[in-house]
Order: sequence, then structure tokens, then C-alpha cells
Amino acid sequence: MRGIAERLIDYETPKKTSAATANTANFQVTERLRPHLATLMGHGGFRALLARALKLAGAEVSWLRAVQVNADGTLEGLAAPHARLTPAEFREGRVVLLAQLLGLLVAFIGPALTSRLVGEIWPQLAADKVDFGNGDKK
Amino acid sequence: MKKSKRTAKVSPSKAGLSRIVLPRLALAKKNASHPAKVRIHQLSTGVRGLDDILGGGIPEFSLNVLAGPPGCGKTTLVHQIAFANATPKKPALYFTVLGEPILKMMRYQQQFSFFDEAKVGKAVRFINLSDVALEKDLAAVLEEIIAQVTAANAGVVVLDSFRTLARKAISDVGEVEVQSFLHRLAQFLTSCEATTFLVGEYVEDEVRDNSLFTMVDGILWLSQVTERNSVVRKLQIMKLRGQATVPGLHTVRITHDGLQVFSRTLGLMGDKPKPARRQRLSTGIPDLDKMLGGGILQGDSVLVAGPSGTGKSALASQFIAEGLRRGEPGIMAIFEERPEGYAQRADSFGLDLKSAENKGTLELLYMRPLDLSVDETMQAILDAIKRVGAKRLVIDSLVGFEMALAPGFRTDFRESLYRMIGALTGAGITILSTVEVEDNFTSLQFSHYAISFLTDDIIRLRYVEIDGQLRKTMVVIKMRGGNHSKDIREYVITAQGVVVIHPRRTDYAELSTGIPHRTGPRKAQENEAAPEPKASK
Repeated sequence: MRGIAERLIDYETPKKTSAATANTANFQVTERLRPHLATLMGHGGFRALLARALKLAGAEVSWLRAVQVNADGTLEGLAAPHARLTPAEFREGRVVLLAQLLGLLVAFIGPALTSRLVGEIWPQLAADKVDFGNGDKK
Repeated sequence: MKKSKRTAKVSPSKAGLSRIVLPRLALAKKNASHPAKVRIHQLSTGVRGLDDILGGGIPEFSLNVLAGPPGCGKTTLVHQIAFANATPKKPALYFTVLGEPILKMMRYQQQFSFFDEAKVGKAVRFINLSDVALEKDLAAVLEEIIAQVTAANAGVVVLDSFRTLARKAISDVGEVEVQSFLHRLAQFLTSCEATTFLVGEYVEDEVRDNSLFTMVDGILWLSQVTERNSVVRKLQIMKLRGQATVPGLHTVRITHDGLQVFSRTLGLMGDKPKPARRQRLSTGIPDLDKMLGGGILQGDSVLVAGPSGTGKSALASQFIAEGLRRGEPGIMAIFEERPEGYAQRADSFGLDLKSAENKGTLELLYMRPLDLSVDETMQAILDAIKRVGAKRLVIDSLVGFEMALAPGFRTDFRESLYRMIGALTGAGITILSTVEVEDNFTSLQFSHYAISFLTDDIIRLRYVEIDGQLRKTMVVIKMRGGNHSKDIREYVITAQGVVVIHPRRTDYAELSTGIPHRTGPRKAQENEAAPEPKASK
């Protein structure tokens, strides 16, 4: 799932900037997923899913433990770590959180549907023949 | 709508008009003075058996309630309908309101074969309205539905659970507001040519007091009927405007393919009378054929009744094997034994059922699962008959068949059996059913089911005590289609199966009681070889 997360982050990074040096305090991919998933699950449902992903990601990337999920599913508390961390360290948080979120989706609705949902937002993913695995959460 | 069916246009000849002497000009004038009625197109539900019950399908642009308690298959049914009809141009919009979370619904529904992942997102779109319903009012919910349906040009709209939404709204703003919401929703959805399903966990008492049920065009009511330890799902079409539906409670089974509905009148449609001249079919037992006046009449239902161990299954296997030898494919519906054991036993009589199975001219249907309905059994048999082009059918046995039914169906067993036999023999299938009866040694029972009226022919097997041995006799008791032998004949079960031996016995009276008394001279015992090979050892 990590590979897919990295790929999605790359899709969202302007061509001339490398993802590692992209200097924004946002988690753009998670943000782009939010309205689509909220349509399906409601804001409360998306918030619950993202909070779970954040909890799991916090075990891998310690600075994510200070980040909060708002009621509308947006992330709060990114500015301070963004100012403090190197771009590579910040990117690692993005990758791990997104990988956990995708992993949860795969665990709930399977790789085929996850692929379709994500593919609606990033059609290039289908063209790249990205494999979401066999449905086991990693 | 890709799968919607156009109502059949009845041609004058089909309607029998060509036989009516009516000048063509007069007919044209008549047509001109009566403008064509609106043609209501129907949506196929994608649920096997349901379209027939609905009278062709769901009327296009109708507003329907899909009701029933939790766990009876409402969500699966509405998913099936959505997936069967959704196209990217006319998608199905599935709104969830304060019900099952969509992720969970997708998680479970994708297990069914009808759930086509490729349709999700474009042809089938899931939209969660819980936030709007919780944070805003009914007007906002309606506004959101209108916006989504208009933008998508939806063909099918599902609102799940409508009851939860209505209950919340009633507690917030009162019933009149909910009626107004429903009225505006119905008006909008009809005018934008969408067929709508409101899903809800209603209980039957609510039908009387809830005006929703008056407003909608169709009510599909699912239920679970519990009797002893058995639970059976049922479907009733309580209402469907403009269509002749099949009334009553129909059995529903949920399998990997979703719901399947078994009409309670399955088989009663298109019943054809038997032809006047019918072929006689050999049973595979030459002497029995003679007793039957040359064999069983094609399309007859034969009942072979006898106690345990009298060779009913052997006789049934011989009947099927003889058909196979003559190029008549067959079906054996077995309720008490596993097919492997059944085929092996037939093999010991020199009847090779396995090869026929492999060739596709015979199917052994093992129908032991509990909680079956007669309709499901009949559907399984009809499907098998179609698959192999069967001419002969064995049901072994009616006792096992009854035991396999859910208790609720056992009370209707006779009626259901009547329907099933009528349907199958009407289709030209010759049926041989076995039934176990207990010999009481005082009288000759045919069957404790009192089902003799269902069958055309009855062959009774029984034990008879003769010269210190328990021997077997058979007699043809009834044959609707012709004359038959009145002889009581002794038979044995050998390596060739059932073999009739000896002409009728004239040296005993009251053979039918099982304890005859000798009327003729007694033969010397040492000259009287035991007729059964097994008994001679």
C-alpha cells in the first residue's frame, strides 16, 4: 500500500517540484479523497476512518500522534510539525497515513472497489495498472 | 433503461382478432376512435422468479416501498434491482439515510454474484445523506436528492432506510411535513422518469395507519416465517398498480446469486392436457410391464409404495436405467441417500448410472437440505429436466421429500405435491415416486399420505409370510389410463435388481393381508428352493 500512497502523492505534486521538497503543510491526497469518501460514508464516517488510520500511522511515525481529525474530516495540527520537520520527514507522515487509510479501505471493501473509488479521482492509476493486493490489510 | 422490457404488443392474429369477421375499414375506424392507452414499460428486477410474480416486472417510473423486518433481504433485493437496471447513462442512485453504513453495505453486498464492481461509481452510485438528515431538515434532504438525481439523470433511485428518515422527521416536524416531503419527492422522481424504491423496516401493523402505503404504487413485503426451529423467508406483493401480480406468500431463498423467488403457483401456468394416444414406457422389469398392460403410460405419475427393504429404490433405478437404454434422459431426485451411494447400489444391479451422469443424460439431484419449500424443489427439478431434456423422473422418496421441507410447508405438502406432479406430468414427464408404508399384516395400506388421488398408477410392494419365509409380492392396484393385471406376483431382488418370479399363486388365500392361509396342497419342503439367492445361503 505504501507504493500506491507514494504514487498518489507524486500525482498531486507539481511536476517541477519533487514530493520531498513540496513545501505545503497539507495532506493533499487525503484532502482530495475526503469529499469523495464523505459522499459515501458521510463526514462522520470519513472522520472515523481517518482517525483510525491516524492512530495506526502514529505507531510508525511518532509526530503524527499530535495530529487531530476535525469533525468535517480535515486534519489539524500539521503546521507545527511542518515547520519543525524536514520535507522528507513530513512526506513520510503523509505516505504512512495515506497507506493506512487505503489499507483500511481495502480491508473493508476489497481491492477491486478501492481501486475503483481511487481510480475515479486519479484515472492515471488504472492506466498504471496499480495493484491493491488481495484485500489483506498490511 | 437497458433491461427494461417493453410490454408485448399483441398482434391482431395473436389476440384472435383475425378470426373475427370485421371489415378492415371498420377495424381501422375503430382503432382511430380509440387512441392508444399508455404503455407502461417494466423493469426487470434481475431476481429469478420475481418478474413473473410481479406480472412482468417493476412498472417504470413507479414509487415502491420495499418493506420488512431486518434480515429478510430488503437491501440485497434492492441492490439486485439497482445493478440489473443501472447504466452509466441512466444510473442507479443509492441514497443511505441513517441506515447501514455504505462501506459495510458494499463489503457484504459485493459477495453476491450480481454485484458488478465495474458498475460502482458510474452506473451505481452510493450517496450518504445521513449528515444532511441529521444536521438539517427534510427540505434539505429533498434538495440534495433533487440535485443528485438531476445531475446524474438517474433511472433508479433507492432511499434506504426511508422509515428511519421518516421517523426522525415525524419527531422533529410532525407527520404532515413528512407527507408533504413524500408528495414532493414522488412528484419530482416521477417527473424526472425515475423508478424509486423506499426501503424500510416496517411492521405489518403500520400498513393500516401509514398513508405512505396509500401513496406508493407498489409494496413488496418481505418477511421471515418461523416455525419450530425453521425460518423461511417469504415475499408478498401487497400492491402493484396496473399489473396483475401473483397473490400470496412466495418463498424466497438467498444464495450466492442473491435472492431467488419461488412463485406459489409455479407450474400451474401453461398446464397442457395429456395427448389422447400415449406411448407405453418399459419399467425395465418385463413381467411388471406385462402387469401394467404393456408398461407405464407416458406422462403418468406412478406411485411405488412399500415397506423398507422391498426394493422401491431398485425398481426406481431400473425404471430410469431402462429409459436411458432407450435414449430417454432422466432425473432422480433423491432425498434419503447420497448420490454416490445410490449410484453404487444401482451399479450392484448392473445399472450403470455413473456413465449416464457423465454423459449428461442423467442427473442425480441430492435434495436433503432442511427447510426446503416444494417450490424450490420443483424449480430445481424443472431446471434439471431442462438441462438434460429428461423424459423420466424418479422422486425417491416422498417421505424424504416431506422431511426435507421446512415444517411450515409440510402442512401443505399434499396440495404442493398435487401442483408439482400436475406441472411435471403436464410437461410430458413420466414420474415414478416411491413412498414408504408400514405393513400392518391386517390390511393393505396404499400410503399414509392418502395421495393416491395424485397418482395415475399405484404399484404396491409388500412382505408376505409363506412357508416360514418373509417373501415379497407386488400388485398393480390402480392404472388410470388402461387395464392392468390383477395378479399378486412374487418377486425377488437379485443381482439384476427386481425380478418377478412365479405366476400368481393359487395355493394361498388372503395374500394381501401379508399372512395368507394355504388353500392348495403343500409342496414337499425339500423340493421348494428358497427363491432368494440371499436366503439360500
